[in-house]
Amino acid sequence: MALAFLVLPVVAIFARVPPGELLSALGTEAAKDALVVTVKTNLVSMALILAFGTPAAYWIATREPRLRDVVVTLVELPLVLPPAVAGIGLLAAFGRLGLLGGTMDALGIDIAFTQTAVVLAVTFVASPFYVRTAVAAFEAVDPALPAAARTLGAGPGRVFFRVALPLAAGGLGAGAALAFARGIGEFGATIMFAGSLEGRTQTLSLAIYEQFDLDFDVALAISALLVIVSGTVLLSVKLLTRWRSGSTTPIPFAPSTRTSS
Amino acid sequence: MSHRLASLVLALVVTAFAATAASARTTAASPLTIYAAASLTQVFKVLDPAPNYSFAGSNALETQIRNGAPADIFASAAPLNTQRLYKAGIVDKPVTFTANRLALIVPKSNPAGIRSIYDLRSKPVKLVVAAPAVPVGGYTLTVLRRMGLSGVLSKVVSRESDVKAVTGKVALGQADAGFVYVTDARPVSDQVTVVRIPAWAQPRVRYEIAVVSKSPNKAAARAWITMLQSARGQTALENAGFLPVPKPST
Repeated sequence: MALAFLVLPVVAIFARVPPGELLSALGTEAAKDALVVTVKTNLVSMALILAFGTPAAYWIATREPRLRDVVVTLVELPLVLPPAVAGIGLLAAFGRLGLLGGTMDALGIDIAFTQTAVVLAVTFVASPFYVRTAVAAFEAVDPALPAAARTLGAGPGRVFFRVALPLAAGGLGAGAALAFARGIGEFGATIMFAGSLEGRTQTLSLAIYEQFDLDFDVALAISALLVIVSGTVLLSVKLLTRWRSGSTTPIPFAPSTRTSS
Repeated sequence: MSHRLASLVLALVVTAFAATAASARTTAASPLTIYAAASLTQVFKVLDPAPNYSFAGSNALETQIRNGAPADIFASAAPLNTQRLYKAGIVDKPVTFTANRLALIVPKSNPAGIRSIYDLRSKPVKLVVAAPAVPVGGYTLTVLRRMGLSGVLSKVVSRESDVKAVTGKVALGQADAGFVYVTDARPVSDQVTVVRIPAWAQPRVRYEIAVVSKSPNKAAARAWITMLQSARGQTALENAGFLPVPKPST
């Protein structure tokens, strides 16, 4: 019964509009613009998350346990933060009158209502999903292997790229998929921090919100699209998890403590 | 879905309903539930703090009431939203209870240096408006059209879901300027400066209110609307900067 309760709303999205109308609703200008904005901002966010998150996760995973726990907790904070709080926080930090507003103004950077603001919001809420999974993946790498590489004369950079990274790849992929799923669904922080303008800052989630009382069919169609994307991401996480189950990484949803594997 | 499964899911919904309804019933006589345009937020709360309020864009409230939201009263910033529900038989006959004017607001620091509406045309400005379906968004389009300024719509950086979201973005200094009702500028008068819109460009902003036909508290709802139309209600509205109901003749 609990299962049916969870599945019913998802099924209802598809039941209410026939597939043909769903496709034509997705062809509307608003839906297409929102798709472009979402893909663009999320690709940039993912690149940032991977580029900064991967070394950060490796660094965290190789620290002593107490420091590691503190840092992981800090990283996880945006994960449990209500989206509205994330929006207020971003405004307080990067808003024009925020902490860094004066500095950014002096540098000639004005991100208010730009796609940069969307990218910041998405990166802020999505990166913890990647980093915590990546930390767990790096920790699950048998410490004997990097140690062996080091005794064979490999430098720290070479150990990271040639040993740790390939061994943790499955977990990193799963983490990236989870972060991507969270990123494309981002709503609260974006609408507060970046506003909503079709073709500029209006992502799919914001378009659903605007279309809700304009054209419910378009809102349904975009929702259906997001269900499909989210389902695909979830499936790929499962496959990635199975693929690397040969290694010893814990499942991505398990608490990322050393004892959990 | 099989019949048995459907009934099981319904059982879950009914249990949740019973649990929340039971807790609601313990709180004395049920207060009125009033769905009202966001611009009425402060004045309604001051006038009568007792009802349960839901403030949002009138268009969003219209959709919610159409979908069965448990409102007793609907107060809209445009006759369009109440009239559509009236024609659909969802609310009783609406009455006009107040009026308003538009204004342009800029942050106190005025980063874009906006001193008149026409500055919107010549200066680079991050302009925030409400979405066209929101009453104030529609009124904004009217003002700009009448002033021959529709071109400044290319400077819009965000279309917000209600007037308070526009006010907030300007008061925070995120946006350089935004179109709101004059009544929205008052509560944030320490953060924003009002730029006047000439009277000849002002749209006719009429607020309508109606009792929701399916309301179980119809008598109380009608009494509340009478109170709003009385000297007490009208004085509160006037003190908040709203205008008296315009004469029906045009």
